[in-house]
Amino acid sequence: MSRLSKILAWLFIAFWALTALAPALITPGDPLAINPAQAFQAPGAGHVFGTDESGRDIYTRVIHGAGDSLFIGLAATAVGMGLAIVLGTLAAMAPRWLDGIILRVLEALYSIPSLLLALLIIAFTGPGVGPAIIAVGLSTAPGYARLVRSQIRTLKNSEMLEAATVLGRGTWLKVRNHLVPNALKPLLALVTLGVGQAVIWAAALSFLGLGTPPPAPEWGAMLSAGRTYLHLAWWMSLFPGLAIVVVAAGATLIGRALGGKARTI
Amino acid sequence: MGTLGWAARKLGGALVVLWLVATAIFIGIRLIPGDPAEAIMGGPGSQASAQALAAARAEFGLDQPAAVQYLMFLGKLARLDFGTSYALKRPVTDVMAEVLPKTIILALLALAAAWALALLFAALAMRANRFGAWLGGMVEIVAAAVPHFWLGAVLIMVFSSALGWLPAVDNGTAAGLVLPVLTLALPLAGFLTQLMRDSLATAMSSQFALAARARGESRLAVFWRHGLRHASLPALNLTGWAFSSLLSGAVVVEVIFARPGLGRSLLSAVLARDIPMVTGLALFSALVYILVMALTDAVQRAIDPAGAAS
Amino acid sequence: MSIESQSSGQERAPLITVSNLSVSFGCTVAVQDVSFTLSPGRALALVGESGSGKSVTARSLLGLSGGTVTADTLQVCGRDGLALRDRQWQGIRGNAVSMILQDALMALDPLRPVGREIGDALKVHGSYSRAERRARVIDALKRVHLPDPELRARQRSTELSGGMRQRALIAQALIGDPQVVIADEATTALDSKLTALVLQQLRQLKEQGRAVLMISHDLAQVANLADEIAVMRRGKIVEHGPAAGVLEDPQHEYTRTLLRAVPSGVPRFVPLSASPAPAAPTAVAADAADSAPALRAQNLSMSFGGRRAVDSVSFELPSGTTLGLVGESGSGKTTTARIVLGLQKPDSGQVQLLGQEFAPRKESQRRELRRAMGAIYQNPLGSFDPRYTAGQLLADALSKGKSKRAAGGYRDEVAQLLEQVELDPALASRNPRELSGGQRQRLAIARALAPQPAVLVLDEPVSALDVSIQATVLDLLDRIQQETGTSYLFISHDLSVIEHMSDRVAVMTRGRIVEQADTAQIFGDPQHEYTKSLLSAMPRLR
Repeated sequence: MSRLSKILAWLFIAFWALTALAPALITPGDPLAINPAQAFQAPGAGHVFGTDESGRDIYTRVIHGAGDSLFIGLAATAVGMGLAIVLGTLAAMAPRWLDGIILRVLEALYSIPSLLLALLIIAFTGPGVGPAIIAVGLSTAPGYARLVRSQIRTLKNSEMLEAATVLGRGTWLKVRNHLVPNALKPLLALVTLGVGQAVIWAAALSFLGLGTPPPAPEWGAMLSAGRTYLHLAWWMSLFPGLAIVVVAAGATLIGRALGGKARTI
Repeated sequence: MGTLGWAARKLGGALVVLWLVATAIFIGIRLIPGDPAEAIMGGPGSQASAQALAAARAEFGLDQPAAVQYLMFLGKLARLDFGTSYALKRPVTDVMAEVLPKTIILALLALAAAWALALLFAALAMRANRFGAWLGGMVEIVAAAVPHFWLGAVLIMVFSSALGWLPAVDNGTAAGLVLPVLTLALPLAGFLTQLMRDSLATAMSSQFALAARARGESRLAVFWRHGLRHASLPALNLTGWAFSSLLSGAVVVEVIFARPGLGRSLLSAVLARDIPMVTGLALFSALVYILVMALTDAVQRAIDPAGAAS
Repeated sequence: MSIESQSSGQERAPLITVSNLSVSFGCTVAVQDVSFTLSPGRALALVGESGSGKSVTARSLLGLSGGTVTADTLQVCGRDGLALRDRQWQGIRGNAVSMILQDALMALDPLRPVGREIGDALKVHGSYSRAERRARVIDALKRVHLPDPELRARQRSTELSGGMRQRALIAQALIGDPQVVIADEATTALDSKLTALVLQQLRQLKEQGRAVLMISHDLAQVANLADEIAVMRRGKIVEHGPAAGVLEDPQHEYTRTLLRAVPSGVPRFVPLSASPAPAAPTAVAADAADSAPALRAQNLSMSFGGRRAVDSVSFELPSGTTLGLVGESGSGKTTTARIVLGLQKPDSGQVQLLGQEFAPRKESQRRELRRAMGAIYQNPLGSFDPRYTAGQLLADALSKGKSKRAAGGYRDEVAQLLEQVELDPALASRNPRELSGGQRQRLAIARALAPQPAVLVLDEPVSALDVSIQATVLDLLDRIQQETGTSYLFISHDLSVIEHMSDRVAVMTRGRIVEQADTAQIFGDPQHEYTKSLLSAMPRLR
C-alpha cells in the first residue's frame, strides 16, 4: 500500500468509527423526531437529504444509522470469522478423516445460498437484531472457513516450513514464527472484505423486515420504508443505500489493498 | 478417474450433503423452545387449533422417541414428501413446482447477462489506457458492493419513475423481466469482470499467446482462441457460487419487483414460521446448488481435463 | 574452415539483413546498434545473459518486440521490416519466419489440443480444408518422430511428456515450411537428452537449407550447431565472428568470461569465474577422506500410488567430498533428497548422518542432529519467510529460531556469514525479493551454513541461473568446501555441472542408481548403457 492510500484508508475508518460511536458530534438532530408538516421534503437547504413520510430528517437518520448497521456488520463478521478460523484451522491441521468430515459439513452449509440460510435460521429463532447477527455470521462462515483452510494448508506444505524443519525447528517454533504471522495478514484482508459484505447482508435482512424493526434509523430498515414511496420520494431510498455502497466499496478497496481477493460472500 | 467413477462420487457427495442439511433442520426444529407441534405450526403466536396441533403431532410422530421421529422425517424426505404448508394449506411440493421454475429462469437469465457483461467489460479493459483501467477497476468494485435491494430501487427510480421506459413491477412480460434481471446481474458482473480481467491479462501475456502471434495469428484471433478460454476458467469455477448468490439475491429482487418465486415464498414462510414449507424450500435450493455444481464440474472437465482432475 | 563457410555463405543472398537495429521501451534502450546477416543453410547464435537484449532482437525479426524499433536496414525474407504493418507481419510469421519458444509447457496452450495449436499456423496462411490441415499436422508430427501422432494431436500439452512437447513445439515451427527458424532459449533448462534432441532437429533444419537463429545463454549449447556466434551484452554485440574463432580465440573479455563459466571438463576446484583465487586445499578435506562417511543411505525405497519413485537406493558420502547425483527429471532425485533430509519417510531403508541413525527416526529425537545437515533448493525464495529481511533470516538461523533481530547479539555473525558467501553486509536490511537470483542463492547458502553443518544437500542449486552467475555460485561452493570441509550431496540434471563439482557420481534413472563411480571413471569410461546414452547427448565445449 502506498503512503497516500494508507492515510486515506485510516481516514475512512476513523470517519465511520466516529459516526458510529458519536453521531451527535456530526449531526445534532434527533433521528426519531417527527414533524408531519415537513413530510416528503425533497433534498434542499433545510434538509440536505430530504425528509421521510413522518418528516424525519434523512441525513440525521443516515448518520445515526451507521451505529446499528456497522455494529451488526462487525458482530456478524466476528461470529462468522471466529467460527471460520476455528473450523478452517482444525480442518487444515486435522488428520484426513476429520478434515473430510469438516469439509462435508461446510459443503452442506455452503450448498444453501447465504441469504436463504440466514432466512432458515431466522425461521427457527424468530426475527430481531440478535438472530440477524447469528444468521449472517453463520451463513458467511462456510465460505471463509474454506479459504482459511486452504490458506493454512498452503502454508503448512510450503517450502518455507520445510526449510524450518531442516534447520531443526520444533512444531511450536514453526507455528509461532512462521505459520501464524503469515496466516494473519491474509486473514486481516479477509475480515475487511467480510465486514463490507456483512453490512450488506444485515441490511438485507432489515430490508426484508427480519432485522432491526422500524422506526429505528438502520439503513436496511430505512430502505424498506422508502420502497413504499419510491415513486414519490426517491431520496428516501437513495441516501441510505449510498451509505451502504460507500461502506461496502471502501471495505472492499481496503481489503484488496491488503491483498485479499473478493471471491466470497 | 473415469466418467462413471466421477459421477458416482458426485452422487455420493450430493446425498451426504442433502442428508446433513436435513439433519440440521431436524435438530433446528428440536431446538425451538416449547411444544414442537406448535413450533411447526408457526410458533406460540400462531394460536393453532388443538385439532391442527394433533394432526401435526401425528404427521411428525411427535409422540414417538426422537430416533423414530428422525427416521420418519428422513423417510418422508426420501419419498419427496415435504408435508403440507399450514399457512397456504397446500402440499409443499405443489407450491415448489409452481415457484421454483420462475426463480430458476430469473437466475439463469441473470447469470447469462452477467457473463455477457463481464466478458464485454474484460475485453474492453484490455484496450484501456491506465486511467481507463483504474476507472474500470473502481466501477467493478462499486458494482460488486451494491446491494440488490438498493440497485433494484435505483433502477426503478430511473427507468420506471423518471423515464417510464420499463415497468416497475414484474407483470409477466419480457419488458417486466429486464429490471429484475439487471438488478441481479450487475453486481455479479462486477465480481466476474475482476476475475476475468486478471486471467485474461495473464493469458494474453503468456508464452502460448506469444507463440500464437509468432505463428502469424492476429491479436483478435489470439483473444478468441486463447484469451477467452483462459479468462472463463476461473469464472466458470465460481459458477456454483455465483448461482447460489443469485438465489440469495432473488429473495430480495422478487420482493422488490413483486415477482412470485422461491425467494418470496421462503420469505413469507419464514415470516409465518411455516416450518414444512421452509424445510422443503431449503432442501430444494441445496439440491439446485448441487446440480449446478455438478454441471459446472462437467463443463470444466471438458475445457480443462488436467486442471479439473487436480 | 572459417574462410570456406564464409565464402559459401556469400554465394546465397542473405534471408535476414539487420544493420544498426535499436529497440527501446520508453526511455530504456534494450537493443542498440545490432547488425548481422543470416543466409540459407547457416546458423547464427546470439549468446548473452538474461536481459542482454538477445530475445528482443530475435522478436523484432517477427515484428513482435513490443518496443520502438529503429534500424538502417531490417530486411526479412526480402521484405522491408521497417515498413511492414501488423497485417503484413502476420503473413511472414509462422510462414517465412517461425519461432520455437523456451518453455514447452507454456508455449502450447494447455487448454487446447496440440494438433489444433499446430494447425492454427496453416489456418492463418492458407486455404486448407480441415482434413488437409489434419493430415499436414500429422505429417509434421511424424517428421519430428513423435510416436502415435494421431493420438498426440488430440491430446493437450499437459498430457504429453517433456520430450513429446518439445517435438510438438518443433513441429509447430516447421509446419509453415519457414525459411528462417528462431530458437529462443529452446534448450534452456532441458536435461541433456532433450537438449540433444532439439539440437539434432535444429541441425536437420540447417541441412535442409533453412537459416537458424539460435538464442542461448550457454556457449556450450551453441558450440556444435552455430556457424557464427554473436555475443551480446547490455543490448550491444560485443564480439561477432565464426564460431570456431569466437570459441577458440575470444577477443572480448566478456566472451572469455562466458567461456570460462562453462563447467564441463574443468577440474575440481579450478575457478570458473574471475573471482579471487581459491585457498589451497586445506588439511580438513584431505584428512576427512579417511574417516567414517558423513552420510550413508542404505536401500532407500519409496512408492507413490504403486509407482516406485525410489528403488533400493544406496550410497555413501565420504566426509569432505562431493557426491553428484545426476538424472533426468522424474528419475527420483528429488524424492531421494527429501528422504535424506527427513522430510519424507521412506517405505524401507535407512539414512545415517555422521554414523548416527537419521531416518526413519522420530522428529524429536533427531532434532539436534539436524544441525549437521543443511539444504539448498533450486528456488531459494520459496524457502524464505516472506516477512524476513536477509539479516533476519540469518539471525533466525543463528539463534535457532529464538530471535530474528540481527541487533540481538548476532550482528557480527550475520555480517560474517554474508562475507563468507561474498555478499555485501549492507544487504542485510534488504528483503530477499529485492535481490537477484544469484544473490538469493548465496543468501540461502549463508543460511544453511549458519549451524555449521557437516553435510549440505543441494537440489538443483544453480539450474535457474545463467551460466555466468552459475559459475560464481559454483566457485563459492568450492571455496566453502575447501575452507570448512563440508560434504555435498549435489543433485542436478546438468552433466557438465556434475562433472565439475563431484568427486564421485551416481547416475539415477527410474528410481534406481544404475552406476556409481569416481567422476573420471563415469565420464571417461561409462559402463552402463544409460550412462553412455546420457553422455553422448551431452553438449561439450572442451
